[in-house]
Amino acid sequence: MASSVIVAQNLMGEDAISSWESPRTPWGDPDIEGIWRYEATIPLERPDRLQDRAFLTDEEVATIALVEEERAMARLNGLDGVDVGKITLEESPIRYNEYNSFWQDHGRPRQVYRQTSLISDPPNGKLPYTDDAREAVVRSTARYGVGPYESYLDPDTGERCLTDGAAIMMWQGPNGGHNRIVQSPGYVTIVHEEYQDRRIIPIGGQPHRGVKQWLGDSVGRWEDDVLIVETINFLDKTNYEWANIWSRSSDALRLVERFERVDPQTIEYTLTVEDPKTFTRPWTAVIPIFKLPDSTHIFEYACHEGNYALSNILSAGRAEAAND
Amino acid sequence: MHIGDRSKTFFVFALLSINGSVLWGQSIEDVTPKMVDGRPNLNGIWQVLNTANYDLQGHTARPAMALMPTTRSDEPPGTNRATPGALPLSELRSLGAVGGVPAGQGVVVGNIIPYQPWAAAKQIENAENWLTRDPEIKCFLPGVPRATYMPYPFQILQGANQILIAYEFAGATRTIHMSDVGRSPSPTWMGWSVGHWEGETLVVDVTGFNGQTWFDRSGNFHSEALHVVERYTPVSPHHLIYEATIEDSNVFTKPWKIRMPLYRRLESNKQLLEYECVEFVEQLMYGQLGLNDPATEQRNE
Repeated sequence: MASSVIVAQNLMGEDAISSWESPRTPWGDPDIEGIWRYEATIPLERPDRLQDRAFLTDEEVATIALVEEERAMARLNGLDGVDVGKITLEESPIRYNEYNSFWQDHGRPRQVYRQTSLISDPPNGKLPYTDDAREAVVRSTARYGVGPYESYLDPDTGERCLTDGAAIMMWQGPNGGHNRIVQSPGYVTIVHEEYQDRRIIPIGGQPHRGVKQWLGDSVGRWEDDVLIVETINFLDKTNYEWANIWSRSSDALRLVERFERVDPQTIEYTLTVEDPKTFTRPWTAVIPIFKLPDSTHIFEYACHEGNYALSNILSAGRAEAAND
Repeated sequence: MHIGDRSKTFFVFALLSINGSVLWGQSIEDVTPKMVDGRPNLNGIWQVLNTANYDLQGHTARPAMALMPTTRSDEPPGTNRATPGALPLSELRSLGAVGGVPAGQGVVVGNIIPYQPWAAAKQIENAENWLTRDPEIKCFLPGVPRATYMPYPFQILQGANQILIAYEFAGATRTIHMSDVGRSPSPTWMGWSVGHWEGETLVVDVTGFNGQTWFDRSGNFHSEALHVVERYTPVSPHHLIYEATIEDSNVFTKPWKIRMPLYRRLESNKQLLEYECVEFVEQLMYGQLGLNDPATEQRNE
């Protein structure tokens, strides 16, 4: 199991972790309601250049903090996505952030942490892909934005307005990474803005439903003040293109998630992914998720209803073929 | 007597006749679930049992939603050979009885939708073009109130301060804002919902629509000026009365109402499942647009 505490070093230089008495719902469960979003600079995988280093130095932290300030300032000053997107991919948790980074505005500098990867296990901070999955990653990366785009099956599941997968839902979604958590007696419901991904998690002892779904079949329980959610029964959708091979839906997938509210503003979200079809061993990421003001809204995403990009991509593919 | 009150009386009577000795002398408020703070508890998985999604108004059974045009003979009945009754459009014919439309008595109070003349004509045109125009066929978000009476369950998730309504169809989710959040910043498919309690009733005021959803498969429609006021009233441990007042001065001459019971899904371990229909309609919507159609493996010309 991963380290249970994220080593936080925010811009004030304070440790964010302290003893914290969680508020309660009227029926006595720990209260994790609100709008939550991952807004930190830690990449999922440790960049190659950092090799065996689990933590950044103080100087490195200061540099990243400066870049974050400058990027936020540049956006406030109206610089467009191309200028803002010049940060390297490995420094950003957002893949291909040169594309439409206008949409990806965090609105403020992201929080800087000392961790060099969200992945805490394996200790090298890397996804433990099987050889086949690694080959799929290479192919997927090479074709992204390049094609061929001959039918609606060629765009990835996100571009088709389906989902980017359950493992990514709580902490990504560059075009709408907010999550609303609503608690009602016997349920924790999570609504993710992008693709309107939704999980209604029954709490306390129910068996799995046994029906395979895109976002699986979740059951949850409280252990002390930590919400533990186990999810199985994912549909096998590995025949589709995915933005991330590591978050694809496979019938061998099993997720275990821990939601621990460590202070008023932070949930420490621990994700353990097991999928022998994609990985040689389970892996775990520890991800800080931040509370946004109560006035924050989740807006209607209506992706499929306005997916003009898909018809445009396909008609462009036909035009290109006609010109050949 | 107000019709809503009559519905309540009916349900209490029905309960009394089943469990008379237990419930005798108790009011509706005594037998409906409550939250810890005493407010009505609408939590649960609910579903209608009616034909409103086919047609809000009363209608006769027929063999398909889309029929071939027919012309009746002018000759006196019986003086010539038999002619066909209604026939499904060729696209639907192989479905047989599965593609039929069950009869229904309608859910519109008074059974009249007060269309302006142009809009009445538009509804007929919509109905005639159902197969290409109904947003349900394309898996588009169904809008309000249609999401309520589609043939799929939905779940009310009522917490201490927030209420969500999660629909199975297309995974649509509404947030019912229980405080003043101003107007919708943008037009939407599912509307912008602001709720409050009136006694036992959850009242939801819905605005901010985009004018692209329909009320049913019969082409009943509205504009972006649609304003819906929904009322969810518990009338037994397992029933709500759902009422929606529909107002749209671009399309109707006056407000009108629909009303229907919602039934609690009582199966043990009943959970809302996914109906991710985007995947089911991609070939229909995009199959002809690409270089290849995966359904036919043919190159499109």
